[in-house]
This record gives sequence, C-alpha cells and structure tokens, in this order.
Amino acid sequence: MKKDKQIKLALKNCGSIDPEKIENYIAVDGYKALGTCLGEKGSSEIIDVIKASGLRGRGGGGFPTGEKWEMASKFVADQKYVICNADEGDPGAFMDRSILEGDPHVVLEAMAICGYSIGATEGYIYIRAEYPLAIKRLKMAIDQAKEAGLLGINILGSGFDFDIRLKYGAGAFVCGEETALIASMEGKRGTPVIKPPYPVECGYKGKPTIVNNVETYANIPVIINKGAEWFSSIGTSGSKGTKVFALAGKVKNVGLVEVPMGTTLRELIYDIGGGIINGKKFKAVQSGGPSGGCLTEKHLDTPIDYESLKECGSMMGSGGMIVMDEDDCMVAVAQFYLDFSVEESCGKCVPCREGNHVLYQILNKITHGKGELKDLDKLKAISEVVKSTSLCGLGQTSPNPVLSTLTNFYDEYYDHVVNKKCVSKQCRALVEYKIIEDNCIGCTACKRVCPAEAITGEVKGKHVIDPELCIKCGACIEKCKFNAIIVE
Amino acid sequence: MKKIKTISDLNAIRKVLENDRIDSEDKKVIVKVAMSTCSIATGSKKVISFFREQMGLEAIDSLVVQTGCMGLCHSEPTVIVSVPGKDSVIFGNVTEKKVNEIITSYIKEGNDIEGVLLKKNS
Repeated sequence: MKKDKQIKLALKNCGSIDPEKIENYIAVDGYKALGTCLGEKGSSEIIDVIKASGLRGRGGGGFPTGEKWEMASKFVADQKYVICNADEGDPGAFMDRSILEGDPHVVLEAMAICGYSIGATEGYIYIRAEYPLAIKRLKMAIDQAKEAGLLGINILGSGFDFDIRLKYGAGAFVCGEETALIASMEGKRGTPVIKPPYPVECGYKGKPTIVNNVETYANIPVIINKGAEWFSSIGTSGSKGTKVFALAGKVKNVGLVEVPMGTTLRELIYDIGGGIINGKKFKAVQSGGPSGGCLTEKHLDTPIDYESLKECGSMMGSGGMIVMDEDDCMVAVAQFYLDFSVEESCGKCVPCREGNHVLYQILNKITHGKGELKDLDKLKAISEVVKSTSLCGLGQTSPNPVLSTLTNFYDEYYDHVVNKKCVSKQCRALVEYKIIEDNCIGCTACKRVCPAEAITGEVKGKHVIDPELCIKCGACIEKCKFNAIIVE
Repeated sequence: MKKIKTISDLNAIRKVLENDRIDSEDKKVIVKVAMSTCSIATGSKKVISFFREQMGLEAIDSLVVQTGCMGLCHSEPTVIVSVPGKDSVIFGNVTEKKVNEIITSYIKEGNDIEGVLLKKNS
C-alpha cells in the first residue's frame, strides 16, 4: 500500500501507541492542547481557532464545528452537555471504532476542550454496545485520566471541572441522528424530533448540547497544537483537513485510510486501494453508506470533499467507501441499501416508513423479473417525495442509492424491466443455467451435487438442466471441471 | 499515574515520558502488535503472546507492546518491528511461523525477509 498520499491526523496515534496507557498518549503531545486551552486561552479564543481551521463535522452532515460550538457557548444555562456520537452504524464503516480502540484519550481530551469552550462540565459518549473493546478501552482511559487529574474536579489547577460518562446504544441506526441519540440517552424511544430548536439550544435534558462525531473530536487537539492556519492549509477551499475512509468491497487493499480533502476517488481506489481485485473492471463506488450514492467511472476524478460529492448525487457521509466491480448488479445494490433503510427506519414519519417500503417492493419486483417500464418513473417520483418530506436525515437521504443508480445505471434498470436480463448475472430470477453439450463428458458430478435433482443424464452421456426445477444455487458450476455449465 | 496538579507539572511529566521513549527505542528492539477488534479476530492475541514468549526465550532486550490498528485490514495481523539503527518495518499476515522467522532471520541475523508491507520512518 502506498502511503505517500495519506496524511494521518485523526489516526495519528492509531497503530503507534499503546491505547491502554495514558503515559504513552502524554508522551506524544497528549493533553498538551487541553493544557494550552486551560492555561492560555479563553473560551472565545478556542472557538475562534476551531472556526478559523474550517473543521466541519465528520459524521456526515458537514456542519462547521466552530460555529456549532459558538452557538452553544452563547446560550445561557445552568448546565450544558458535550456528547460524543460513537453510534457508528453504516454498513462497512469502522472509522470511529478504530479511533476509539487505538487512541481513546484523544476523544476525551477534545471533549474536555469543548466543555471548557462552551461552559459545560459534563460529557457523554454515546457508543454502540456492539463495540466491547472500544468500551473497555474508553473506560480504562477515563479512569486513568481521572486518576491523573486530567478529568474530574479542578483539572490541572485551573478551576475547570469536567467529567465523562458512557451511554450505550442498542444499535439502532437512527440513533446516530442527533435528536434521536439524545432521546435515546434520556431513556426515551430513539426517534428524531423536528429541528429547530437544535440541540445547541435545547438538547440533552433540554439544555444546550454539543453533539460531535468521534472523528471530529479526534481533529481538535491537533488543531489547537499546530494552529488553525496549518490545518486549513490541508484540503480544499470548502473542506479543510483530512477524512478517514473505510475502504471496502472489491478493492485489493481493504482498510482504513486517511487522505487530505480534495484527493480524487481514483487516487483513493487505485493508488491507495491498489485497484480492483482479480483484474476485474471497476463499476461503481458507493460513498456515504445507506445515505450515499453510487458513483461511476466518469466520477473517478471527482475530488473528495463535501460539495463535490453532493453535486454528483452522493455524499461524504461518515466515511464508508464500498467499491464494486462488473459482477455487482446495481439494482440489487440499491435494493440492499433500501432493505437496510426499511429495517432501520424508526417509523415515526410516514414518508420514510411507507415510502422506503414501497421503494423496496418495487426494486424487489424488478430484480425478480416482474418489473415494468413505468416502475422506473414510480421509483423516481417516490424517491423525490421521501427525500423532500421525511423528518430526519435517515429518510431525507435513504433514496439516494436508488436515485443515483437510476441516473448512472439507467441501462441496467432498463435491461431488467424490458429485456428481463441482469448483465451482472446476480439476479437469480433473471438468469438460466445451461449445459454446453460439446463440453460435457458425462461425468455425472453436477447431477450428484444438484440439491433440486434438476439435472438428468447417463454416465458418459450428455447432461441437461431442467429450468423448471433448477433453483440456481450454482452448486453444479463449482463441481464441473470442464467449464460445461454457463449462466445466461 | 499520580495526580497532575498544574499545567507546568504536565509539561514536565511529558518531557520525562518523551525522553523515556527515545532512550528505550535506541537500545531495545520494539515490537508493536496491532490489537484492535479486527486484528484480534485474525489472531493477533496469539501473535503477541508468542512474540513475548519467544523474545524471552531468546533473551533479546525488547519491548513487545500492543497498539490500535494501522488500517491495513487486508493484511492483519500486522506487526511493526523496530531494530535499533534501522527503519521500522511493518509485517503483514503474521503467524507463529512468521514470528519465528522475524526473530531468527530479521532481528537476530539482520537479513531482509519476505512479508514486509512497508518501511516506516518513525
């Protein structure tokens, strides 16, 4: 894996220090930023630095972090809260888990800095219960920081108190949405509420609350230590710094990468990711998880930043990046993501609850060879409605995989509904298994393995598959040593 | 860790810790084994305990520590080996057999061996 294109800021300590030892973190400038803030900087000064750095939320939305802090700092309240959103739920994404497991103190330090700047003394990390190792290391880190006087009462003699506790999420995707997250923390059902008021004004327990993502926090100490100017020199005009991506799918070097904003998709997939596995052809890249879109070959030179990805019909999202090759059926991909959104919709608002379900059913119809041309128009129309009328980010973005595949892979949809063909041969209902007579030597291997007894033929005689009985499981292809079975 | 009472105390402690780190890296062989969920799933717990055991048996002045992951998921378990006077090297797909090879051939005899993902200047 080529490393030269990567810049590690959020991941700078991941893989180089022992995450279970606070001494290791302190030795690499750990808690230095907190010391600087408490000793030399006032609240507004810190917020100005974060604003000037141009840091934007890394959870997906991309809201300017400094502005969020400034708003929360201006509201007057007897208590304010700092929340870390560690409810990472996108399929295939594990950026936050890696940071929490590899460098838990960086998040604690950043949360304390945030607390000091907005005037909060309590912080919570909302973390998925499915992350036991991250939880264990966070607990350890909190205990160590308290013992060392870097959390708790009168931190470093400054008079500032800050404490951090963990709250566990049960894994509902919608709880990554900040208002649903807060509801879940309060012990209520995890459903979003209408904004405004935003959490910065009326959040946890009705008090001003900052909710930032793990990766956003991981950038804070380095910005304080190295300065806003240094940070904003990395990236593009509208998107500063770096972004961590979980590179997955049909790419050679699957893994976690951190690249400066403005790096192109091509550099990410080919230079860092090493290209497509098994010499296959690149087909699409899906960024932003179930809320993102599928981009194609023609988008490969798009720089990765919040605006450019949005313009192409995808989004930055939290950082999942799934690469697909010629064997992936784009209709089936859209159906997969819709299935996820249907499952995870909280059911509070009608467009998301019903609309996504209808979209899923139409896609299901298409992949089963029962689609009609007018279904494609329906997909588009319903998607637009769900997008524009849903209550929270989940519904507002869940049709993106459908819309982007419809735009970029219309031919594939057309093939499915009109020609009843799936070019990638992924949709079982649209393919047929056949035996090429000339290649078949009559070894009976396929006949013996077929679970549906759909293959007939004598030893040394030609074999035939009965399409009525065939369940298209593919077991015969795996057994045939003579390339006599094909999928059409 | 003892309670740190002031910012200057924190800075003083950092100086000590920084120095400790540099000193030890100068004379000891440092082995860092990635130990995040993904690494553990591919067998890094076995790798780290085997490294500790073997380094002890071979009586090599060394420090075997755990870290988070470097993001090289395609080649877990991964290990960073730093031998004094040489660039750090990252090995991928490390097994017990590979650990033996790293210790005898790379660390003790100073040979270049296969399985290096990349060199790191740290």
